[in-house]
Amino acid sequence: MTDVLIVGAGPAGLSAAISCAERGLQVQVIDEFMRPGGRLLGQLYQEPDGSWWNGIEEAAKLQDKAASLGVELQLGISVIDLNHSDDGWMVYTSTGILKAPALLLATGAAETACPIPGWTLPGVMSIGAAQVMTNVHRVRVGMRGVIVGINVLSMAIAQELELAGIRIAAMVLPAKNMINHDAGDPRKVMQSIVRLGHLAPSPLLRLGSGLMRYTPLQSLGLHLYPKGGFKVWGIPVQLRKAAVEIEGIEKVESVRVANLSPDGNIVPGTSRSLPVDFVCMAGGLYPLAELAAVAGCPFRYIPELGGHIPLHNARMQTPLAGLFVAGNITGIESAKIAAAQGTVAGLSIAAFHQVSGTEEDLRESIQNLRITRAKASIQFHPQVAEGRQRLESIYSENFS
Amino acid sequence: METQSVIVCRCEEVDLKQLLETAERYSCSSRELKLRSRAGMGYCGGRTCRLLVDSIVQQLTDTQASNEIPLKHQPPVRPVTFQNLGGGLS
Repeated sequence: MTDVLIVGAGPAGLSAAISCAERGLQVQVIDEFMRPGGRLLGQLYQEPDGSWWNGIEEAAKLQDKAASLGVELQLGISVIDLNHSDDGWMVYTSTGILKAPALLLATGAAETACPIPGWTLPGVMSIGAAQVMTNVHRVRVGMRGVIVGINVLSMAIAQELELAGIRIAAMVLPAKNMINHDAGDPRKVMQSIVRLGHLAPSPLLRLGSGLMRYTPLQSLGLHLYPKGGFKVWGIPVQLRKAAVEIEGIEKVESVRVANLSPDGNIVPGTSRSLPVDFVCMAGGLYPLAELAAVAGCPFRYIPELGGHIPLHNARMQTPLAGLFVAGNITGIESAKIAAAQGTVAGLSIAAFHQVSGTEEDLRESIQNLRITRAKASIQFHPQVAEGRQRLESIYSENFS
Repeated sequence: METQSVIVCRCEEVDLKQLLETAERYSCSSRELKLRSRAGMGYCGGRTCRLLVDSIVQQLTDTQASNEIPLKHQPPVRPVTFQNLGGGLS
């Protein structure tokens, strides 16, 4: 009999599986992908201290540990529906029905679309797809491409593509339109990437760790921003240029790029075509919470965490009996934080099953999660901690 | 290319122009806009355009995002084969 079913074999799901299995629970983990590890599989980057984070190795460590503890792992299975009955959670999958008294949703995030004309042409892909093709499948996505959308995720993946020998001609913004306003606004983008100052060899971006945090200076920075952009890992990062259209007959042939005013408006007469054979669209991430919605979990809109978040407390517990969440479904943060959240959720599930002596470990894991968050070198949103605080207050006002 | 010809819902091939015209003509809620245009009703279950459709309506009606997930999620949340639908699952 399965004590807990975990949906998602990424850093959160596997870490939760480990902490549940260590406390004697019978754990089953399922994942849609054919390899465990989730988005860890795509990750390869250098930490500020110079060491390398190799996501494939991290995923293998988690998988081996889970396997050694008797965790049952099934891959290539999708959940299509779920509901709660007196027997616990009934989870309908592409291969049959699974049941467990406790259910952990660790389904991660999905990419936000930022459409521009031509984005449906073959050769255009999301930045996450390029990462998976490069680092997981080892398939070259093209010879020379453009990344449309400048954010924490696309900067990290740009470096991975360069490491794989794939040339990025430029990183530019998507032209502002009704559906991708913030991603096309140089000021907003500047605000979000100045926090990556430590990664950037350019003086302007490096200022980000200090002075550039002040809005008037960001504006000045934009006025001074060179037309050719700054090079980060050899890639021109062009906050003052936007992709207006992706061109091609049967596949991507070029990207039409135009200069932007500091307000993000196209400067007329400045557009030119950049020949490329692939384009990556990078609109950011949002929590993939469809299963929590189908389960009937209440949500709150918390922009700092990436959008609509299933309501949960510090123990990763939702208001629904036996339903837990961990990882990016609870807000967009790094894999290390997802793993720490998974450990909390696993201990919380052990406490739900009344495994004795878990309360102290649970308190310690919550503390450890806060420390991990405070030390995070890559932050997706500057006010993550505030957003989390707000969510926890809402939970305690309504459900404790 | 005219910006309004940009495809918003890839699965059902609905462009921005269609969505704007429909939303203005019927003063649509997100749900009504989805039902009238089929944006968000395709193979991917709205994973790509759900937020975009909602954002268009928010801007046209000058409203803020609510706590509810825009355009309710309904099972099945992934495509299901007829075999599974008809008897593979019991």
